[in-house]
Amino acid sequence: MATIDSQQHTRPALADRAVPRWQRYVPGHHWKNAHDEFEGAKIGMWLFLTTEVLLFAGLFVAYAVFRMKYPEAFINGSHYLDWRFGFINTCVLLLSSFTVAWSVRNAQLDERDKLVRNLFISVVCGGVFLAIKFIFEYGPKWAEGKRPGSLFSYPNAENAYEPIWWGVYYGATAIHAAHVVIGMALLTWVMVGAMKGKYGPKHYTSVENVGLYWHLVDLIWIFLFPLLYLIH
Amino acid sequence: MKINDFAVALGLMIVAFFAAFVSGMDYFHWSWMGGDAAWESGRGTDDLYIFIWQFCVFWFVWLMGFVGYFAIKYRRRRGVAPERSPSHHTMLELAWSVIPTIFLVIIFFWGFWGYMDKVVAEGNAEEISLRAWKWQWEMTYPNGQTSLISGEMSDGQVQPYPIFVVPEDYPVKLRMTSDDVIHSFWVPDLRQKFDVFPNRYTSYAFRMDPLSEADKQNTEDMFPGGFRDHRVFCAEYCGDMHAEMAAILRVVSRTDYLSFLDTGGFIPDSPVAFGEKLYTTKGCVACHSIDGAPNTGPTWLNAYGYDVPLASGGTVPYDANYIRESILVPAAKIHAGYPNQMVSYQGRVTDEELDAMIAYIQSLSDRGPQPLSAEGEEGADGETTEGVAPEGEAPAGEGEDAAPAEIEEESNA
Amino acid sequence: MTTVDPQSLPAEGHGHHDEGSYLTPRGGLWSTIWDWATTIDHKKIGVMYLFAILFMFFLGGVAAIAVRLELWEPVRVAADGTVTGQLFQLPGAGVAENNGLYNRIFTLHGAIMVFMVIVPSIPASLGNFLLPIVLGAKDVAFPRLNLLSWYIYLFGSVFAVSSILFGGVETGWTFYTPYSTTTDADHWRVVAMIMGVFILGFSSILTGLNFIVTVHKLRAPGMGWFDLPLLVWALYASAVIQVLATPVIGITMLLLLFERLFQIGIFDPALGGDPVLYQHFFWFYSHPVVYIMILPAFGVISEMIAVHSHKRIFGYRAIAFSSLGITAVSFLVWGHHMFTSEGEVAAAVFSALTFLVAIPTAIKVFNWIATLYKGSIALNTPMLYTLAFLFLFSIGGLTGLPLGALATDLHLHDSYFVVAHFHYVMMGGTIIAMIGAIHHWWPKMFGRMYNEFWGMMGCVLVFVGFNVTFFSQFLLGTRGMPRRYATYTDDFQFLHQVSTVGSWILLAGFLVHLFSLTASLFIGRKAPPNPWGGLTMEWETESPPTTHNFHDDPVATHGPYDFDDVVPPHCDPADYPKPAPLPEGTKAH
Ligand code: HEA
Ligand code: HEA
Ligand code: CUA
Ligand SMILES: [Cu+2]
Repeated sequence: MATIDSQQHTRPALADRAVPRWQRYVPGHHWKNAHDEFEGAKIGMWLFLTTEVLLFAGLFVAYAVFRMKYPEAFINGSHYLDWRFGFINTCVLLLSSFTVAWSVRNAQLDERDKLVRNLFISVVCGGVFLAIKFIFEYGPKWAEGKRPGSLFSYPNAENAYEPIWWGVYYGATAIHAAHVVIGMALLTWVMVGAMKGKYGPKHYTSVENVGLYWHLVDLIWIFLFPLLYLIH
Repeated sequence: MKINDFAVALGLMIVAFFAAFVSGMDYFHWSWMGGDAAWESGRGTDDLYIFIWQFCVFWFVWLMGFVGYFAIKYRRRRGVAPERSPSHHTMLELAWSVIPTIFLVIIFFWGFWGYMDKVVAEGNAEEISLRAWKWQWEMTYPNGQTSLISGEMSDGQVQPYPIFVVPEDYPVKLRMTSDDVIHSFWVPDLRQKFDVFPNRYTSYAFRMDPLSEADKQNTEDMFPGGFRDHRVFCAEYCGDMHAEMAAILRVVSRTDYLSFLDTGGFIPDSPVAFGEKLYTTKGCVACHSIDGAPNTGPTWLNAYGYDVPLASGGTVPYDANYIRESILVPAAKIHAGYPNQMVSYQGRVTDEELDAMIAYIQSLSDRGPQPLSAEGEEGADGETTEGVAPEGEAPAGEGEDAAPAEIEEESNA
Repeated sequence: MTTVDPQSLPAEGHGHHDEGSYLTPRGGLWSTIWDWATTIDHKKIGVMYLFAILFMFFLGGVAAIAVRLELWEPVRVAADGTVTGQLFQLPGAGVAENNGLYNRIFTLHGAIMVFMVIVPSIPASLGNFLLPIVLGAKDVAFPRLNLLSWYIYLFGSVFAVSSILFGGVETGWTFYTPYSTTTDADHWRVVAMIMGVFILGFSSILTGLNFIVTVHKLRAPGMGWFDLPLLVWALYASAVIQVLATPVIGITMLLLLFERLFQIGIFDPALGGDPVLYQHFFWFYSHPVVYIMILPAFGVISEMIAVHSHKRIFGYRAIAFSSLGITAVSFLVWGHHMFTSEGEVAAAVFSALTFLVAIPTAIKVFNWIATLYKGSIALNTPMLYTLAFLFLFSIGGLTGLPLGALATDLHLHDSYFVVAHFHYVMMGGTIIAMIGAIHHWWPKMFGRMYNEFWGMMGCVLVFVGFNVTFFSQFLLGTRGMPRRYATYTDDFQFLHQVSTVGSWILLAGFLVHLFSLTASLFIGRKAPPNPWGGLTMEWETESPPTTHNFHDDPVATHGPYDFDDVVPPHCDPADYPKPAPLPEGTKAH
C-alpha cells in the first residue's frame, strides 16, 4: 500500500518510542483532519449496521410469514426451546455489551489496562454464548432429530410443519451465531491493538466501531430471544 | 419563448398526434398481436394495449421530434455563442409532471378492471382440474375423463402434447396445481397466464368465443360440430424441456364437448363418485355428516363456497385450498365451535384423492361449481346437482348448424 | 497500463513539483503490477474495475451471441430421428439435454450481465474514478475498503464464473424455487453461482457505503449540496439503494443456499415452505437493483448532455430530487414482477405504485430535452450516445407501462416482450450510457483522444444493431413467444432471424469500439486537460490526473453548469464565447 502514504505525511513522532501509538496517529491523507475521519468512519459504520439490520429483517419476515401460516407449529416449536438457556444467553450478551461500552470509555480516558480487560471479558462472553448455544441447545436438539426441513426426524412431532419451524430457528440463530463469531474476531483484533497501545483519547475509531457492531449483535439477539423462546 | 418556438412545439405535437392516430389502425393491432383475441376479456386487453401503444407513440414521437429538431437547429458552430435561456420554468415543469400522471392513472384503472375481469370467474362455471409436471400437462374433467394426447408424432414434434377440449361459449374455470416446480399456463390467444404452483391451487377462468362458421367446417371424427385450436405454452421456466411443454386448447361445440366427456376414453370413476367412496373408506364419515346433522366435525352439506368462522376469530372462505389444508393440516384453521381433534392425513392421501374429496364436498354444496350439462344454461341459480356428473342426456351433435342443444329441465334434489 | 505516456502533463504552472500522473509506472514490470494490485488509489481501482467489467461484458456478449445463434432455427426432430436446429449437439445426448445446454447459456448470460456487469458498471468503474475528483477530494472516504470491495468483486466473479467452467447453471438468473433447489443432482455449480452472487453483494454494499460517506464528508470547500454535479446526486441515490437493498439479496441467497444444501424447508412447498416468499425476497432486491443500474446512467447522461450542448442543465433541482424520488419508490414496486403469482390486492397496489415510479423518470427525460434548447450542441461520439440513450431508454421505459398495467401484463409476463423491455432499459439505457461515458472520460482517464470517426461509426452500428435485435423481440412477445425457450413454432422464425442478424451488427459495433479505443492508447493524440469544455472539477486537473488528483486543494468557485458565465478551465475563450449579457432589468434563473 505504498502508493500514497509513503510519499507524503511525514510522521513527526514516529521514532519517539516513548510516545504511545495513539498519539502518533495521523489521519488518512485525504481527510482534512482526524475528527472528520472519525465522523466519516462512524457514518460508514452506521450504514453498515443498517445493512445488517436489513439482512436480519429478511429472517424476521420469514418468521412472521410462517408464524402466520403455521401458528400451531410455531407454538409447539417454542415449547421445545428451554427459555432458561435463552435467558442466560441474553444476560451473557448484555454483560458483554456493557463491557464493550465501558471499553470505549476506557479508551477515551486512556485506561489501557481496563480497556484490554473489558475487551477480554466481552470476547469471553461471546464464547460462553456460543458454548451454551452449541452444547445445551443445538447439540441435544440435533441428536433428538429436531432438525430443519428434510433433515427432521423427531418421532414425536405433533405438527406437520415443525420442520419449517426448525428451519426458521436454525436459519436465524445460525446466522446470528456467525455474527457472534465475527464479532469475537473483531474484538480480539481490537484487544491486540489495545495491548500495543493503538487506542487512546485521540484515536479510538476501531474500538468505537467494533463496539457498535457488537451492540448490534446483541440487539438482534434481544429480538430473537422473545420471538423464538417466549411468544406462545 | 418566442412565438416561433411555440409554433414548432405545436407542429411537432400535431405530427405526434397524427402518428398516434395512425398507430391505432387495425394494421398495427394485427402486427402486434398477430390476430384477434379469442374471448371478450382478451379483446379488452388488446384495446388497452393499443391505447397504451398510442399513448407511447404520441410521447415518443413528440419528444424525439424535439431532440432531432434541437440537435440540428442548435448544432455547434465555431465561435457562435449560444443564446441565453431559462434553466428552470415552474409552470412547464408542473405541466409535464401532472399531465402524464393523469394518463397513467387512466391506464392503471383500465388495467385493473381488465385484470379483475380475468381473475374473477363467472359463477357456475365448468370446473376442470389441471395438473402440471415436468414437462407435461393433464386435465381431468368433472366426470373423471382426462385430456387427449396428440396422436402419432408428426414430423418435427419433439414430444407428444396434450389436447384440452373445452366447450364454446360457456364459462370454464381451471383449478390448477403442479406436482413438482412452478409452471405457468399461458394461452396467448386468451391474453392471460397464471402460475401453477406445487403447494396450492390457482385458477384460470375464461369463456371461449363461439365457433365461427369457418371453424364449424373444420371437423374431425370426434368433433363433428367443428373445432378451433389455440396454443398453450408453459411460461414459467421449469427446466430442460420447458420449451416443449406445449399443449393445444381445442374449442368444440357444447354437444361435442359432452359427448367427448362421455366417450372420449376410459372413465375410471368420476371424482365425485370416487370422493363419495373415500368418504367412508377413509373414515370421514365418523365425524362429518353430509346431511347437516351435527357431529364431532362440521357438516359438509352446503359448506363449500361459504365462509368458515374460525376458532381464532375471523373467517376464511371454504374453498379448494381450505379443504386441502384441512385434510393435510387440520389444526391450521379450526372451525369455530369444534374441537381441534382431527388427525392429519399428510402422506395418507394422494393428489387424486384430494381432488376427489374436493369434488365431492363441492357437490354437496349449493354453491359448488355447476358443470356444463346438456341444458347449457349457465347462471341458473346454483341448485345442487346432487353430486352426479352430467350424464349423457345430450342429443348427439347433429352437424354444423345444430341449434344450441334444447333440453328438458334436469330435476334437482 | 504502462502503454500510456506518463509524461503527458500539460505545463499548467501549478506551484508543485511534478508528481507524474497516476498512470506513471513505479519501477519495473513486477513492481508496477504489485503497485496496481495493492493500490488504494481510487483511480487505479476504477480503471481495474473498468477493464474487468468490460471483460465480463465480453463474456456475457459471447453467451448472447450463442443464444441468438441457437434461436436461428427451431428445434425439430425428423421422422428418422435426426435433430435440427440445436446449436450444440452433445454426442449421445437427447433433445432435453441439448435444450438444457441452451438454458445454461442464457442463465450465464443473464447472471453475468446483471451481477457482474451492470450492477457494478458505472459506479464501480467511472464512479470510483470520478466521484472524488468531481468533489475536489483526494480519494474516496475509505480507500482500503475500496480495494477490498474490488477484491471481493474479483473473488465473487471467480466463484460465479467457475460454475461455468464446471458445466454451467440452468436456473435462470432469478433462481426461482423449487426449481433452483432441486435441479441438477450434482449441485455444486448451483451452489457456486449462489455463493458468487452472495459475495458480489458485499462488493456492491461496500462501494455504496463508501460513496455515501464520501459525498457527505469530502466535498471541496464551497461546494454545497446544490453545487454538486448531477452525477454525484445520481451516484448518491443509487448508493443508497445499494446499501438498503443488497442485504436482502444477501439473506435470500443465504437461505437459498441452506435450502439447497440442507433442505431447511423455508422455500420448499413439499415441506410446507413457500416459493412465492422466495419471489418476494428476490424481487425486493432485484427491482431496486434495476434503479441501481439506471441511476448512475442518468447521472452520466446529465453530465454529457450539459457539457456537449454547453448549456446549463434545465431543472437542476428537479433532476436531483427525482433521483431521490426514484430511490424511495423503487422499494415499493417489487411485486410487479409477480402479477401472475400473487393475490389481487397485492397486484393492484403494486401496479399503481409502478406507475408512480414512471413519473420521476419522465421528469428527467423532459429536463434533458429542455437542456438541448438553445444549446450549442456538439455532435461527437459521447453526444451521439447521449441522444441514442434518450431514444432507446424512452422506448424501454415506455414499454414498462404495458407491463405495469395488470391486464396487459397477464399476457406479456415472461414473454419476449419482457426480454425486449429489459434490454432496452439495461442495454439501451445503462450500457449505452456507459459506452458514451467511457468515450467522454476516456481522455481524462488515459490522456489520449480516440478517433472521432470510428467512435461515431461504432455508435451508429450499435444503435442500428440494437434496434434490429430487440425491436423484433417486442413483436415476438405480443404474438405469444415465451422467454427461456430453446425452440419455437414456425411462425416466429422470421422475427427470430431478424433479431439474430441484429446481434451480429451489434457485435461489429462493439468490436469497432474495442479496436478504436485500444488503438487510441497507442497512437491517439495527447488529450488536453479539458477537451470538451466541461466545468466540473475533473476538467481542472490534467489528463490523466496526478496521483493526488489536484496539485492544490481545490475550491469550488462556480457551479458545475455555469456555462453562460464561465470560460471552461484550460480552454480558449474563442472556442466557447459567452452569450450576450442579459438586457437590463431581466433576471437570469
Ligand atoms: C435498467 C433497468 C430497468 C429499468 C430502468 C426499468 C424500468 C421500468 N420497468 Fe422494468 N424490468 C427490468 C429492468 C428495468 N426496468 C428487468 C431486468 C426486468 C425483467 C426481469 C426478469 O424477469 O428477468 C423488468 C421487468 C419489468 C416488469 C415485469 C414484467 C413481467 O415480468 O411481467 C415491469 C412491470 O411493471 C416493469 C416495469 C418498468 C417500469 C414501469 C419502469 C419505469 O421505471 C420506466 C420509466 C421510464 C419511462 C416512462 C420512459 C421515459 C419517459 C418518457 C419518454 C417521457 C414520457 C413518458 C410518460 C409521459 C409516461 N419492468
Ligand atoms: C446488462 C444486461 C444485458 C445485456 C447488455 C444483454 C445483451 C444482450 N442480450 Fe441479454 N439478457 C439479460 C441481460 C442483458 N443482455 C438478462 C438479465 C436476461 C435474462 C436471462 C434469464 O432469463 O435468466 C437476458 C436474456 C436474453 C435473451 C433471452 C433468452 C431467453 O429468454 O431464451 C436474449 C435473446 O435474444 C438475449 C440477447 C442479448 C443480446 C443479443 C445482447 C447483445 O446486446 C450483446 C452484445 C454484446 C456483445 C456482442 C459483446 C461485445 C463486446 C466486446 C467486443 C467488448 C466490448 C469492449 C468495448 C466496448 C471497449 N438476452
Ligand atoms: Cu413448465 Cu415451463
Ligand atoms: Cu421491476
